[in-house]
Amino acid sequence: MLKQIIIAASLVAATAALAQEATVPTQAPPPAPYQEVSKLVDLPEFLPGLGTLYVDPATLPAGPFLAYDHDGKLSATVYMTPLADLQGGTAYDDLPVGAPEVTSVDIYYNAGHPGVEQPHAHVVLYHDADAKSRLAQ
Amino acid sequence: MWTRRHLLARGGGGLAALAAPRLVRAAGTEVLGMRGSARGERVWFAPQGLAVAPGTTLRWTNRDPGNSHTTTAYHPDLYGRPLRIPEGATPWDSGLLLPDESFEVTLERPGVYDYYCQPHEMAGMVGRIVVGQPGDPGWEEASADPGDLPDMALMAFPTVEAILAAGRIDEEEPT
Repeated sequence: MLKQIIIAASLVAATAALAQEATVPTQAPPPAPYQEVSKLVDLPEFLPGLGTLYVDPATLPAGPFLAYDHDGKLSATVYMTPLADLQGGTAYDDLPVGAPEVTSVDIYYNAGHPGVEQPHAHVVLYHDADAKSRLAQ
Repeated sequence: MWTRRHLLARGGGGLAALAAPRLVRAAGTEVLGMRGSARGERVWFAPQGLAVAPGTTLRWTNRDPGNSHTTTAYHPDLYGRPLRIPEGATPWDSGLLLPDESFEVTLERPGVYDYYCQPHEMAGMVGRIVVGQPGDPGWEEASADPGDLPDMALMAFPTVEAILAAGRIDEEEPT
């Protein structure tokens, strides 16, 4: 099971790395149709590890979610892919990326939260070397 | 931030004078946490199982800085879920609590109360409160009907016997 999750999430990450670049500003807030996640669902405005997230609701659950730090700088692009969907054959192809430079990628399991309640994988593309630390707290 | 929402679960009148077993905490206020690992891999109630005396107030506080949680009783009046609290007890639903928000409920009727977190039931975030002990007037056992509960939730409930023996059951913190 864990191996399947890792393989599936890795495929998503590989796909995302090749995806098209989104036309979004590097400073928050991004324009419509992006909306702040904490105004769509009951979640904190700044999520430790993810920052302040914006998403086009039409793209849920996968996103992309644009992650901004406390200074409003675009720091990461995040995808949230339900494990059951991946196992059921759903593919998330050609997902936009918030910025062309990706310095590292984290993939990990999440048990769910308002907005994406199914257990899912977080695929986090960091856009600069310090992004992870700025999004941490 | 402190949001105090309060609900009194009725139906236990006349039971306050009953003697509590040794490991059942005396009526008062018990504090429970809603917890999550840093990246949200695991979410849980702390404690997951708790034995209390009738008339005890339970206060849940969201201690998870990166997530929202509810405490919601299993009851047909709440989202059509199976009855897993004593018949006649009033069900509760906190709604989504942001970090550091709290919710209180007072339980009077003896028996077993099962509850869950709405966004995290599939991840097994459930809890069980045992009010009083078997033999108390009006005591109701835990429901044996799995109903529509996901397997992760059913497997996560501590047994009534374990809760009564230990007083509280805490899930191991992730390392």
